[in-house]
Amino acid sequence: MSHANPGAYRSTAARILRDEIETRESIGSATRTFDAHRLQAYGQIDADRWRDWARDVKSHTLTHLDRYLEQAEERLTSNGALVHWAETAADALRILDKVVEGHAVRTAVKAKSMLTEELGVNGHLEKLDVHVRETDLGEYIIQLLGEPPSHIVGPAIHKSLDDCRRLFHAHLSTPLDAEPDVLAAAAREALRQEFLAADLGISGGNFLAADTGTVALIENEGNIRLSTSLPKVHVAFVGIEKVVPGLEDLSGFLQLTARAATGQPIGNFVSLIQGPRRSDEVDGPEEVHVVLVDNGRTALLEDETAWEALRCVRCGACLNICPVYRQTGGHAYGWTYSGPIGSIIAPGMLGLEEAQPLPFASSLCGACVDVCPVRIPISDLLLHWRQRAVEERLTPTGEVFGMKLYASLAERPRAFQAAGSLLRRTPWSAAGHALPVLSGWTQERNAPKPSPRSFRQLWKDGIE
Amino acid sequence: MSTRARILDRVRSAIAQRDRAAHPGRFGGWRPSVPAGGSGGDIGGLPGGGPHGEIGDEHWDPFEALFRASGGEVVRVPDRRAAAAWIADFSRDFASVVVGQTVPAELEPDLARAGPEHAPLGISMARAGVAETGSLVMDARDGRRAQLLVPTHVVVVSSRSIHATLSDALAAMRDDLPSAIGFHSGPSKSADIGQIMVRGVHGPGRVVALVEGARPLIENAQEAIS
Repeated sequence: MSHANPGAYRSTAARILRDEIETRESIGSATRTFDAHRLQAYGQIDADRWRDWARDVKSHTLTHLDRYLEQAEERLTSNGALVHWAETAADALRILDKVVEGHAVRTAVKAKSMLTEELGVNGHLEKLDVHVRETDLGEYIIQLLGEPPSHIVGPAIHKSLDDCRRLFHAHLSTPLDAEPDVLAAAAREALRQEFLAADLGISGGNFLAADTGTVALIENEGNIRLSTSLPKVHVAFVGIEKVVPGLEDLSGFLQLTARAATGQPIGNFVSLIQGPRRSDEVDGPEEVHVVLVDNGRTALLEDETAWEALRCVRCGACLNICPVYRQTGGHAYGWTYSGPIGSIIAPGMLGLEEAQPLPFASSLCGACVDVCPVRIPISDLLLHWRQRAVEERLTPTGEVFGMKLYASLAERPRAFQAAGSLLRRTPWSAAGHALPVLSGWTQERNAPKPSPRSFRQLWKDGIE
Repeated sequence: MSTRARILDRVRSAIAQRDRAAHPGRFGGWRPSVPAGGSGGDIGGLPGGGPHGEIGDEHWDPFEALFRASGGEVVRVPDRRAAAAWIADFSRDFASVVVGQTVPAELEPDLARAGPEHAPLGISMARAGVAETGSLVMDARDGRRAQLLVPTHVVVVSSRSIHATLSDALAAMRDDLPSAIGFHSGPSKSADIGQIMVRGVHGPGRVVALVEGARPLIENAQEAIS
């Protein structure tokens, strides 16, 4: 999804809640399962110390980022990989153009990657007439549906088993009552042919170890290993914030990310990729490109407060526990990265105005802060962006007016008393039915009866 | 100015006035505090205890417990000869096999060879294992297709090569890295269809770790881990 549209958050969320009742059920059940597994997996380790360690390594790397990026580039190059730098999505896609042209690429297999979603890789390849196939089962499902991912780790968690049955019946001719293993086997067969025939493999990168020039990838299906092993050419798109100092640092991050994301000790498959096939190896890609992508990350790094959000390892734990995300899933947010993490990186990466109203799409309950494996102060950063939005007059007129009215009343004791008295005498049950928003609330609830006397009067008379 | 220079310039200007955070040191110094079942005590003088026996520890085998918990199978044999006998017996049910480049000749079954795209069975040699995560370390020099395309994958690993921690395993391999390393910690699996777990989605749906050189598994290992 190269086109971001967070501005439609409220209307899209309302539409999903109104028209897609199953979405809420599927998302709720999947996120609660993810979170229960995370909770159990954190319980098996000294999670506080692991998270402190991960926070500190990431903060260290981000405050020495130039040095580690240069080192990663140097090591990858000496490993035989080709390193590119992309300032924008357009830069990254131009690099891809050259690869496609140079190797006459007709077909590509893709391993699940949020960054390639962010860059709009699929749409771009289709324009070049390259047949591109998502190979992660969840990504495959949403590619067939023509939808963007709804969740960082489980892109198709908003779809039920019956949705998948209908979809696979239409595309792979499986029976309408097929069990999940039958559906998966049909997908395996269809995708296997595409793996073997593909000219190009495309992946993201979970981490990039600077001292060995190693791109690390975490998964459970094996499609990332296949996408990066079978085709002749492999292109890995890696965000510049993904670098960590050393190979040894991966020991902590591979384990903590898996525990935070799915509750596993480690993903069932981890790839550590140094470069192209060597002379003593029988297979593997002949050419490996690593594209280091900025696309708004340095802008986020410049923010004195919000730069800490760049520590994110994209585990999805903050989505899973978020009571707001759980209602709608990721589509409402209108951008590749949804939920609490999306709402704090969007203003830095897309621009504050473009990202509105995402920083307000939260109840500030802080549950996300308690689960984040790299201890990003998510609710503080949501407040930070809200404050900036108010300063730059980006909040809705009604809210600005309301806050101004309150401030002017609060500065004038007599006016404040008069307003209080007016509110106490308002017939709320009747008013509630007549007003927008409140009418929905009052349909099934009675408004509390206001006290006949104000707090000031009670205080004067002596409160009992 | 090149794209590279512009990105690095922006990074430098962004962090110029920022407090530089220190690296907290090796992760490997800290052991997870999983209830330790039959093992226990501090390991290597480090606090916390944990599921990690030292290599050769007689009392705890997290490798087996974790590999099984993620859906893999573990078979233990005392030596190379027993490993060869087990492979010969196991491969009887298959029509053909693909064998990894670094698998010793004496382990190869007497079975028709097929390419990795067609073989129903693959036999590979793990470079090492990791107890902490229940992982087999697969080296690209053994051949990647044979490790990934077969429905059933038998991986031979020497019990002496199983490192206590991932950190130890990475440290041991950092000066001898091939183009790619894979950590295989169970079968290929996915819950992307209706959140129901299925196996064998892309890679092997059945994976057997054949551990040469036995170490006993304490009875409550599984329980303590899961």
